[in-house]
Amino acid sequence: MKKLSIAQKAYLSYAVFIALMALLPVLAYYDIIQNATVDILSNVVIYGIAALGLNILLGYSGLVSLGTAGFMGLSSYFAAYFTKDLNLPFFLSLLIAVGIPMLIGLLVGLVSLRLEGYYLAIATLGVGEILHKLFLNIDFFGGSTGRKAETPQLLFGLIKLKHYEYNSFNSMFILLIIILGIVMFLTFNIIHSKVGRAFLTMRGSETCAQAMGINLLKYKLEAFAISTLFASVAGVLFAHNLNHTDYQTWTMVTSLNILAIIVIGGMRSIFGTLIGAFIVCADVLFLHYIPISGIDYILRGALIIVIILFYPRGLVNIFHDIKRLFRKFFQRKIGVGNG
Amino acid sequence: MGKKINKQYQMKENTVLEIEDLSIAFGGLKAVDNLSFDIKEKEIFGLIGPNGAGKTTVFNCITQFYPPDTGTILMKNKNNEVVNLIGQKVHNVIRQGIVRTFQNVELIYELSVIDNLLVGCHIYYKTDIFSQILRLPRANKEERKFRKKAVDILKFVGIEKYKDALVGGLPYGVLKKVELARTLMSDPKLIILDEPAAGLNEQETENLSQLIKDIRDKLNCTIFLVEHDMRLVMGTCDRVCAISFGKLLAIGKAKEIQNNTLVQEAYLGKEDDMNE
Repeated sequence: MKKLSIAQKAYLSYAVFIALMALLPVLAYYDIIQNATVDILSNVVIYGIAALGLNILLGYSGLVSLGTAGFMGLSSYFAAYFTKDLNLPFFLSLLIAVGIPMLIGLLVGLVSLRLEGYYLAIATLGVGEILHKLFLNIDFFGGSTGRKAETPQLLFGLIKLKHYEYNSFNSMFILLIIILGIVMFLTFNIIHSKVGRAFLTMRGSETCAQAMGINLLKYKLEAFAISTLFASVAGVLFAHNLNHTDYQTWTMVTSLNILAIIVIGGMRSIFGTLIGAFIVCADVLFLHYIPISGIDYILRGALIIVIILFYPRGLVNIFHDIKRLFRKFFQRKIGVGNG
Repeated sequence: MGKKINKQYQMKENTVLEIEDLSIAFGGLKAVDNLSFDIKEKEIFGLIGPNGAGKTTVFNCITQFYPPDTGTILMKNKNNEVVNLIGQKVHNVIRQGIVRTFQNVELIYELSVIDNLLVGCHIYYKTDIFSQILRLPRANKEERKFRKKAVDILKFVGIEKYKDALVGGLPYGVLKKVELARTLMSDPKLIILDEPAAGLNEQETENLSQLIKDIRDKLNCTIFLVEHDMRLVMGTCDRVCAISFGKLLAIGKAKEIQNNTLVQEAYLGKEDDMNE
């Protein structure tokens, strides 16, 4: 058999991962796991997609954005409006609902990318907060009640997706993970292409990047656009998954959670991001046993501190390190035996 | 791609780079002061001077990291057109055929050696971002083409065995070679080396000297280097330019420079100074 290339191996692992995830709603349908579990995992998938975008921005091009939630929110409102009020088909609505925030993101980028480091973080934080206030105060966004959306119907109503209603198969989850698979595929391609290398060069040394002919503004904008794109896709899925979107979700806390996903899971790693998303968004699965309110915040904060101090490359490396530890352990044993 | 080049500039036969009356001041400090010299085609040209003489500043002026206060920097680019480099965007300078290395090796530590080399031919990638993101066949084909080129260059430089190693863990001597190999990826006409021998031992310096000559002879490049290591300069350079406090001291064959009293004074001080 021909040896697989790195790309083929990666695609294969993503396909297997997506296939395994697709089993979850089946298990839920036969009451082997709870429907609520699948619903929590939907959130993991949605925030995972947004975090993959932020990972490209922060992990590869070295730019910070704390306005992720703002852009997610923007696209979620558009998705709700286009499908519920204008009755546009899902894919068309997806295209427009993602396109508009991306354009706005590019404009914001043009202005704010002159800033660096903390200043860029503060500027994007400002943009996020402005969007948050707009959601609350402009009629289009429905004020404090938000906007209603619907579970999407694909191919002119041929496929009606449903989620976790009683006794029904959660087919919305399948749509989520298919889109997650596509986003993983795209992320892999971006980071293994000229574009990804240009991002990394920029992060390492802007002087070197310029000397190699990399146009800084162009690639910073591209990184910003890609991250906004993924955040917007996540926003659209959020609206369709909950059938509702309102201003309370799109706060700084959400942006910080997405940042926490990357920090905990591991920068510059696709599976790391998903592990991070699982820990940040699905912690309820374990923590509901502990009867202290707010325990998730406390533990998440502690985890971030511990990881930054002792494990800065993120949890994704834990498998690798455990393997190495085992190998060391066994080698020593063999060594003793021989001696 | 930069503006259309106006062709009114004239250069002498057989020169690649002509620097005339170059000056730049940082505040009150004149880092480079009315410096003029030219570099001939297929020459290994050295720029020497004591610490703080302004050598790296000259490099940064040529590559447009610092806009000089006065002066012209003319270059015969890859298409044999004469261009004034001054006023060009920093990221467009490489397109004219000038590529540089850095005093402190500037590589991307998260990438493998071969991926680092691919950054060097960034400007030659023709496929757009969409075909790259979707990994369309033409993007794949282009990537393969450049990977093959990178392997060839690694073989030429003699570090092919490190091809897939992460740059992070490699010894300094290899990193220097990786950086040199990266410059070759852009098919340069003029390679600017900022202290290529810094941090290398005697054996490595000797290898480097041979490699620089090979690059000149086999790849038809002109080489312009700044160096402290006199062994490398004397053994490699065809001509040497010595500067001190931004001013030109002397230009000539390596031996002539070595025996030049002005240069000796700049490095060692005057005899009078010693007595005082």
